[in-house]
Amino acid sequence: MDFFFFHLMPWPHLPADYDGPAWVKCPNTNYDPKRGHEAYNRYLDELLYAEELGFDGLCVNEHHANAYGNMPSPNLIASILARQTTRCKIAVVGNALPLYNPPLRVAEEFAMIDVISGGRLIAGMVVGGGPEYYSNGLNPAEARERFYEAHDLIVQAWTRPGPFTFNGKHYKLRYVNPWPRPIQQPHPPIWIPGAGSLETMEFVAKRRYAYMGIPYFHKRVFKRNFDFFREACEKEGYTADPKQMGWLTPIYVAETDAQARKEYESHFWYFAKKLLPGIEISPPGYTTARSALKILTSRNDFMLYLEHWDQVEEGGYAIVGSPATVRQRMEEMIDTLGVGNILALLQLGTLPADLTRKNMELFAREVLPALRKHTPRPVAEARQAVGA
Amino acid sequence: MSHTTLMLDVRGTAVELRRAGPGAPLLYLHGGGGDSEWLPVFDRWAEHFTVYHPSHPGFGKSGGLEHIDGIEDLVFHYVDVIAALGLQGPPHVVGQSFGGWVAAEIAQRYPQLVQRLVLIDAAGLWLDEAPMAEMFGTEPQELAKLLFYDQQHPLAVAMSSITDFTQLPEEMILNQLKAMEALAKVAWNPYFHNPKLERRLDRITAPTLVVWGRQDGLIPLAHGERYASRIPGARLAVIDKCGHLPVIEQPDKVGELVTAFLR
Repeated sequence: MDFFFFHLMPWPHLPADYDGPAWVKCPNTNYDPKRGHEAYNRYLDELLYAEELGFDGLCVNEHHANAYGNMPSPNLIASILARQTTRCKIAVVGNALPLYNPPLRVAEEFAMIDVISGGRLIAGMVVGGGPEYYSNGLNPAEARERFYEAHDLIVQAWTRPGPFTFNGKHYKLRYVNPWPRPIQQPHPPIWIPGAGSLETMEFVAKRRYAYMGIPYFHKRVFKRNFDFFREACEKEGYTADPKQMGWLTPIYVAETDAQARKEYESHFWYFAKKLLPGIEISPPGYTTARSALKILTSRNDFMLYLEHWDQVEEGGYAIVGSPATVRQRMEEMIDTLGVGNILALLQLGTLPADLTRKNMELFAREVLPALRKHTPRPVAEARQAVGA
Repeated sequence: MSHTTLMLDVRGTAVELRRAGPGAPLLYLHGGGGDSEWLPVFDRWAEHFTVYHPSHPGFGKSGGLEHIDGIEDLVFHYVDVIAALGLQGPPHVVGQSFGGWVAAEIAQRYPQLVQRLVLIDAAGLWLDEAPMAEMFGTEPQELAKLLFYDQQHPLAVAMSSITDFTQLPEEMILNQLKAMEALAKVAWNPYFHNPKLERRLDRITAPTLVVWGRQDGLIPLAHGERYASRIPGARLAVIDKCGHLPVIEQPDKVGELVTAFLR
């Protein structure tokens, strides 16, 4: 198992009476730069502390124009980590390729991070969420086509000797010749998040990249998606390595189950009810009409629509409890999902610095070592046991 | 009078076409919704003209959306549609909203292809002082307020009462999603306009009528005034107590205006 500490860098100061979306149109007058200075630096401290505590990697991601996550440029954060850490993998999950013009910039910046860090980058690549297409003018109906072409350009930029010409439909470059080139060969590992589209899974399986389950769904959704991904790998003629799958989950550990829920619950609801609203925006053409319809009609399984704590526990939307409880729940999930990467979201919403630290320490000292020793039951056996 | 529906082959692309009436050809280019179906006002026009009402690529059963990346592709498509109709002479072209933008583009690029031109609450221009309202991502209740003067109009009431999409028949939701995608391919950014169109409007030679609902909340009347002032010899007719969709909200008035102008 590999354990990653994932930070979203949220804005924890939305006014209590604000009930609009956190994405696209949340007025940026709500952003106080002085408090932002404190927040960024506190969050960076937490990322560095995670390396001290023994995590295998650190994750940051890209979102624009919202209160949910304040990293429109995750590469800026990753470059700080490249310089200030020595051991951890640095996973940018991921650059929203169509938002870079040209996407060659992703190849260049990722190469810089990889070289400065001594070969520790994990290159995540995403299409960019629906809201991002409202925030930056790119045509959502072209999003996926651009993503695939941009991916090809970036991988070629890393692996073909330059200068060479790239003549795509969207990107036409006469001289592709990036300096620097990445340290890792043939290129940094590539992670691609997915929310269930078969096309994405087939793409990842074919190229032997790693598939990250997009979070905030009921655990049955993750299970189904990872099962489909494993099938996609079998169709390609190989058995998926658990390290090709990653599960991002909010986790909170405290001394007892009761204390954990008491300390965590209000911060969880700030996240679910103030930071998630707006994330579900799906602009025209962003997915096929059939997929958009499927999304519209499957609200039951998404964190945004939860109302009671019981649902959080039942669906595994967050793993909350004493060290023993969290260990046990996570062992079950690892067995059920068959994942080899845990992306632990240990800071969430308004969770303050002191509780975040305590959470990180309890997880790193009381939970992580036991999980490292846990031998996952083969997935088939686990499915039989839970009557899947 | 009833209309017929058929599939037309346009250079290998399937175009769903509704048609009615004897008389001089009238090509109707529909907007983003509501008028992509056959409306009573088309029956009225079919008493004097042969009304051709194709579905845009991506709407209804029409194919060809994969070749549409912008307004120019759509113009070429309609040049081909007009050729495929096998007409004796150039048709009258009547366009509403998004269809009005397409009509203006055809008329300025291929002036000889248009007999007379009617633009009804047409998109296509950008006015800093009176921008078109947000359509993508707007909830149906809000959209109803932008589109209709009379909020008690049955269609306005229907739109306002949609609070949960899952109430609607799946087929209807799918058609709506596909229609929005078809519009987005052309109209996402620059938003429902061509920055070069205004400057080229003086290339239009067809006699032109611009019709506008005075209370159009989606595309303000100022756009109609701009069209009328830039197209040589154009006349502006404003319909009072009317929002963005005269063909739906004031069919008698717009029916009469268009009939009188084209005869």
